[in-house]
Amino acid sequence: MRYVGFSTGALALGDFQAALQMLAGKNCSAVELSALRQEELGPLVAQLDHLDLSNFRYVSFHAPSAIEPVFEADVLRLLEQVALREWPIIVHPDAMSHPREWARLGQHLCIENMDKRKPIGQTASDLDCIFETLPNAFFCFDIGHARQVDPTMSEASAILQSFRDRIRQLHVSEVNTQSKHDCLSLESIIAFQRVSHLVPVDAPIILESRVEESEINEEIQSALAALDPATQLAVAGD
Amino acid sequence: MPDAKSTASASSNLLALDPLREARQVSITVREDLDALLSTKSGKYASEDTSLVVFGSLAREEWTSKSDLDWTYLIDGGANSDHLKISQEIQKHLKEAGYVEPGPTGIFGNMAFSHDIIHQIGGQFDTNKNTTQRILLLLESSPIGRRTEAYERVIRAVINRYLEEDVHPLTRDCKSYRVPRFLLNDIVRFWRTMAVDFASKQRDRAGEGWGLRNAKLRMSRKLIFASGLLVCFSATLDTDLNGQISTDKDAIKLKLVNHIRDRVRMTPLEILAKSIELYGVPDTTGKQLFGAYAEFLDLLNDQESRNALKGLHASDSRTNATFRRVRDMSRVFENALDHIFFVNPRVAPLTRKYGVF
Repeated sequence: MRYVGFSTGALALGDFQAALQMLAGKNCSAVELSALRQEELGPLVAQLDHLDLSNFRYVSFHAPSAIEPVFEADVLRLLEQVALREWPIIVHPDAMSHPREWARLGQHLCIENMDKRKPIGQTASDLDCIFETLPNAFFCFDIGHARQVDPTMSEASAILQSFRDRIRQLHVSEVNTQSKHDCLSLESIIAFQRVSHLVPVDAPIILESRVEESEINEEIQSALAALDPATQLAVAGD
Repeated sequence: MPDAKSTASASSNLLALDPLREARQVSITVREDLDALLSTKSGKYASEDTSLVVFGSLAREEWTSKSDLDWTYLIDGGANSDHLKISQEIQKHLKEAGYVEPGPTGIFGNMAFSHDIIHQIGGQFDTNKNTTQRILLLLESSPIGRRTEAYERVIRAVINRYLEEDVHPLTRDCKSYRVPRFLLNDIVRFWRTMAVDFASKQRDRAGEGWGLRNAKLRMSRKLIFASGLLVCFSATLDTDLNGQISTDKDAIKLKLVNHIRDRVRMTPLEILAKSIELYGVPDTTGKQLFGAYAEFLDLLNDQESRNALKGLHASDSRTNATFRRVRDMSRVFENALDHIFFVNPRVAPLTRKYGVF
């Protein structure tokens, strides 16, 4: 059974308690605790001992998406506490001012491919450079970002062919032209199905779609359908 | 001066005639049913870049039991080969659900792209299909479901495009907006194109469906034209709009775009009703116009009458009882329109100035 769940940031921005309440009683076996803004990191790390995560078989942690260089060392110290829990820590490549320092997180470091807005990390060749610097890092494949960068899914295919063995988890949503995370439309589902055969079947799915609580289960079903290799429509790029 | 008898409640009463009210309610239900059907079968069938748009009687809120379902999968985004798959999937589900497919011209029942609709206004690449999609998008369209961003963007872009070509949106004294001539001319052209195509279709289809097409030309197609003219005239006649004229050049155009957008959000019948109210058209004229139109919808909703019209050839039109009814109601309808456009002291001068020459 594939682990699937939501990012707390998608459901309730920085209010991780509210997000966890929204997920209670839903078909979620996974959760990603998000501290997308730098100022959210300390409070979230401080609360980790007090969160009831017993319903989740898989837990990951999203580091701030932008980190001021002067705070990078502090952020790393906090994330080292998270790493002690053996959770994957999702990091945006452009958030690291001194990438080599991040090797301290070891195999818990999980680099995410980026959307169009970001200066690096969108393509297979970008990621190649990053993993050269951080050879022990794992990979969070954001299929929505990959589709936004190249709707034909050729780049997604190239990324998957190069880095599928590093994949630790998936980010799934429809990323719109403003780089916001929308619910999965039929258009994005069809696109994802094109590369679903290249996605490791056991990679946990973390949804980043901004949904109402009532839409959580439906969105999970859409994501599972989009990544089911049995429903693959046409092969792109391989 | 407005006729004292003409009031806001009188115009809303016009829309409350039984056949019009029933058709409106059924249309809203059918549109909701369509969204539910496609959401069940295909999930989120529209997206940020795509909207499902209906036209014709469903958009005008005049749905009758045997209406065609005219729809298009409107795309305003990057080229993507999956759009065809989605369009075909929509087509399949609608057909399986028993909706009457659009006519054979290919204008509806498939994809439409915003670029041509917005950029090709006039010129040799503005095909009949493109003109039809564009004008109907403005005057009789409605998006289905919640994802309407693409639809809204395209409508506003089309309105903007028309207004960009009008260099002076205000009169010389800057006291009122001028009639947007580019838009008006395209609406007039579209009406004439429909009339010419009526003859062309008669030839192409060996007279098949003549009676129904003729009835629609006399009533629903003419209604679209009249409502389009009134939208254009409203730029000059609307006191609220003209009361907001500012010295900021950008605001001048933006206010007109917003005004036209608000007007075309209404159905053609609502535009007529509002105009009757605003321009002091006598109650009797309003009642004639809406009474005749209600009778027309009643007739289309009656399967026997509809079939009689569908099977009627031009050669039998003078002796056919159903068509005689159509002719009678369309005369009443036209007389009422004549009164609005040629007698009403506010509208008639604009008809004279812009309607023909």
